[in-house]
Amino acid sequence: MATHMAEPAVPGTAGTTEHLTQEDRVWLLRAMLLMRGLEERAMTLYRQGKVPGSFYDGFGQEAVSAGAAFAMAPEDRLCILHRDLAAHIIRGVTPTRILAQYLGRAAGVTQGRDGNVHFGDRTLGCVGMVSMLPDMMLVATGMAMAFKLRGEKRCAMTWFGDGSTSRGDFHEAMNWAGVQKLPVVFVLENNQYAYSTPLDKQFAVDPVERAAAYGFVGVTVDGNDAEAMFEASREARERAVGGHGPTLIEAVTMRMHGHAAHDDMKYVPKEQVEEWRKRDPIDRQEGRLRSAGVDVEAVRASVAEEIDAATEEALATPMPDPGSVLEGVFCSGEAEPLGDGVARWSGFRS
Amino acid sequence: MSTMTYLQAISSALRDELRADDRVLLMGEDIGVFGGAFKVTDGFVEEFGTDRVMDTPLAEAGIIGTAIGAAVVGMRPVCEMQFADFISCGFDQLVNVAGKMHYRQGLAVPIVVRLPSGGGFSGGPFHSQNPEAWFMHSPGIKVVAPSTASDAKGLLHAAIRDPNPVCYMEHKHLYRRVRGEVPDGVFETPFTARVARAGSDLVVITYGAMVQVALEATEDLDGAAVEVLDLRSLVPLDSDAILDSVTRCSKVVIVDEANSTCAAGAQVAALIAEKGFEDLDGPVVRVSTPDVPIPFSPPLEKAVLPGVDRVKEACRELLAY
Amino acid sequence: MSSSRTDTLVDVTMPQMGVSVAEGTIVAWRVEPGDRIAADATICEISTDKIDTEVPAPVSGVVAEILVAVEETVEVGTVLARIATGDLGVPAPPADPDAPAPPADRGAPAPPPGPTNGAPPSGASTGNGHRTASDRRRYSPVVQRIAAEHDIDLSAVEGTGRGGRVRKQDVLAFIESAPEPPMHIESPYRPDPVPAAAAPAPAVAPGGLSRMRRQIGEHMKRSLETAAHCTSWIEVDMSRVEEARIRLGLTALSFVARATIAALREHPALNATLEGEEYTVHQDVNLGIAVSLGGDGLIVPVIQGAHELSVEGIGARVKDLARRARARELSADDVRGGTFTITNPGQYGTIMATPIINQPQVAILDLETVVKRPVVITDADGNDSIAIRSMTILGLSWDHRALDGAMAAQFLATVKRLLEGWTGS
Repeated sequence: MATHMAEPAVPGTAGTTEHLTQEDRVWLLRAMLLMRGLEERAMTLYRQGKVPGSFYDGFGQEAVSAGAAFAMAPEDRLCILHRDLAAHIIRGVTPTRILAQYLGRAAGVTQGRDGNVHFGDRTLGCVGMVSMLPDMMLVATGMAMAFKLRGEKRCAMTWFGDGSTSRGDFHEAMNWAGVQKLPVVFVLENNQYAYSTPLDKQFAVDPVERAAAYGFVGVTVDGNDAEAMFEASREARERAVGGHGPTLIEAVTMRMHGHAAHDDMKYVPKEQVEEWRKRDPIDRQEGRLRSAGVDVEAVRASVAEEIDAATEEALATPMPDPGSVLEGVFCSGEAEPLGDGVARWSGFRS
Repeated sequence: MSTMTYLQAISSALRDELRADDRVLLMGEDIGVFGGAFKVTDGFVEEFGTDRVMDTPLAEAGIIGTAIGAAVVGMRPVCEMQFADFISCGFDQLVNVAGKMHYRQGLAVPIVVRLPSGGGFSGGPFHSQNPEAWFMHSPGIKVVAPSTASDAKGLLHAAIRDPNPVCYMEHKHLYRRVRGEVPDGVFETPFTARVARAGSDLVVITYGAMVQVALEATEDLDGAAVEVLDLRSLVPLDSDAILDSVTRCSKVVIVDEANSTCAAGAQVAALIAEKGFEDLDGPVVRVSTPDVPIPFSPPLEKAVLPGVDRVKEACRELLAY
Repeated sequence: MSSSRTDTLVDVTMPQMGVSVAEGTIVAWRVEPGDRIAADATICEISTDKIDTEVPAPVSGVVAEILVAVEETVEVGTVLARIATGDLGVPAPPADPDAPAPPADRGAPAPPPGPTNGAPPSGASTGNGHRTASDRRRYSPVVQRIAAEHDIDLSAVEGTGRGGRVRKQDVLAFIESAPEPPMHIESPYRPDPVPAAAAPAPAVAPGGLSRMRRQIGEHMKRSLETAAHCTSWIEVDMSRVEEARIRLGLTALSFVARATIAALREHPALNATLEGEEYTVHQDVNLGIAVSLGGDGLIVPVIQGAHELSVEGIGARVKDLARRARARELSADDVRGGTFTITNPGQYGTIMATPIINQPQVAILDLETVVKRPVVITDADGNDSIAIRSMTILGLSWDHRALDGAMAAQFLATVKRLLEGWTGS
């Protein structure tokens, strides 16, 4: 196993950045707490038989999406992966719509046409993922290509896993972005396993090293540190909109749950899980904020309240009308491009 | 009106759209400086530059995937597959990302994929295919196939202006062999069928290059009044026009250049069996390419592709039935 | 198989008319040797234990020989005659996999010429297991549809397709050449073709009459010219009917219809049709009800088998037929086969009329308004008093060619008795 890349960064102050205000840092915690809380609630609903299909979560990986998405401007565009719920939360998707999405309700983002985290709110600048990974790398590359052709100072970001690096679309996107020097940020979410397949069966060389071969920067970041993820993403965005091309960010983290609810993860050594539990990204952010004098319990309480209210609201929404099932295969009006999302980082407000 | 070849009509539509709409962007392998494998975009770089007539890396998934990305942020990409056969490399992006996007999340993907298709010139198994049925079977993708110069231009304009992914099947055999009057300027041809020749004794339903074959085969068939219906669009399929022809003629020959099983014509036959049964006066007859890869050597290729003689024979048999 | 022109002999065999039938007797021959015969035309008549029937020729051709004489009884399968056919060659099946499926009878070549004397072969004459062309004649969907729409017997249509197959153009040509079918005389009125919703102004003849109006006029005139019309009236106390009517939520028409039907069962001479000199008394009562279509005219839909219905059942059927009549949804069967008609224009207050008989029926009953009137009532003891009663006058027009006044009066009296003594259904 390629342990050198799986070694977690030492917890502590590493990754803190002068670009974050205290309010920003609380927001990062809040996004991660909402992600974990919503996923736990959805899992409960799943076990109650209220969530159909399969259930996937990003337990333990919350910092990857929270930190990276936090660095994105409203006009930037995102293709978000299924373990990155915090990115949707940061862009402005409400907890009620997220739960309605899990529940297959008409009020979900895809109105019941697709399940769990297979969604993207087009009005918030997001394109929903497909299950063929990493197809969205090319879509993000294309968005960045359009930005560059039009001379716009915007970037595209996409997340994908360690398993994705073995597919041809990874190569096509990396190469294309490198050749055309596009404003795109690739976030490689290295969570140690692609379903049950460990890293040493996936690649012979750490994929972050491939970035150089495609002609651009690759950095490895502690994926369990939201602030470190933010800082690396902020830098990558600056590089992108400054015309200096793409960045590959390898976020090293650990998938703490099975691939999906049905996966008991017996192929993962217990010690490995125990080791990573000590590096929980939420614990880390809470520690930081506590030492800065923030009332973390109050943040937790407010998040819990929000999730309870959202659950009630989502459960009260209707299922989609089967009479609508044939609608919308084709667009019959004008093709409306993606809209802008919400930016939480104080840096965009100045 | 001006007279132009099928290929010139395609070029003309692309040029008009590039001039009319800044959002239009051509993407493909060797389409820029070289002008395309078939010279459809010959001279375009000089007028529109290398950004808008983009030489891409050799990556079909890349071409379609990045086109999707560009489209959802407001561009109107027109992708060229160097040969329709190579769409298999970009299949996933087209079928799973583009085709399902609007249904899943209401996000339109206005891209056109140009697919130079068809055989007849020893292109062999990888430069002769007619893969349109792959996309008919996958929801969310429109499929059109012009047979005349005028339709080549009008359908391409309509495809570029359509808010959905459109596979534009352009037949290589027609590029320089078909020539015709084409209206000047931009005009959109609707995605509906066209009666290429009206008749009442039998209808040949087909599309693309086989329209010319059907017209030639039935021009003088012992005095029979043979209708030729040019489908022009496979998705959406013009059921009304098909059933109207069946009602009128009651005998149907369906011609596909594609491999027989589950071809576009199979869908037409199914439609007629389901909705046109009461109007039939004989079996629905299909002429198509048997289920073999398209062979290279001329006598072998000729043996599998439907030609004038086979269509003529099928019509004669059915007329006598 | 080659398509060379050789005459072929086809056997005509004693058919198996039921699984248990083993033999049959020739009753008559319709042809003689040397006669031409068309496929499906009757070649002879036979008699078996189960049924007497005709034997159709299996193919078109010339009768070559007759092998079994009249009155002779032979086993099933015995060759009765042979028909010589020429030019029966069928082209070889197409080698092209995409060529049309062969016609259904391609696999039924005539058997090769055999000896024309000696014992008849045992078993089916078409020993190769194939049935002969004629008894597996099949028609395409469009041919069957056109035939059904025009009520055509397809066996009468000559086929010009492969193997004599009847093609669309054959059946169309047949229709083209056929004489105009006779009018259905059971019903005087034919519905106009169903107009589209919000139809444009009706087609108006030069004289200003609609087509339907003119048709009604013709039928009425013909009826007056045909029948010897007489009209008889009877006054009926509808009080009991009124009571039941309100209770059941029905119209008086349903009760009068029910009583009429019962009276017709008692006096079947009125449940009859007279066509020329052919007077037919009907067992079943198929009751016509004249329905006004407003300005367009009227139509007489028929309640088939009305004698089997209760008063509620009649009410429901009347309602349904009237609705469909006004929606122009009646089918041909809905206006066919009436044996007696009731007309009921009473809603406007008129009290008497002389209805015109719906040809070829022999009588028609008219129901006008039910009005309250003072009437003299005689009780069981013979005491008279004046009471207010719901009264109506029923008029019966009848054809003096078929009936006499006494029969009409007896019928009306029965209707009166049933209505005045209404007890239930």
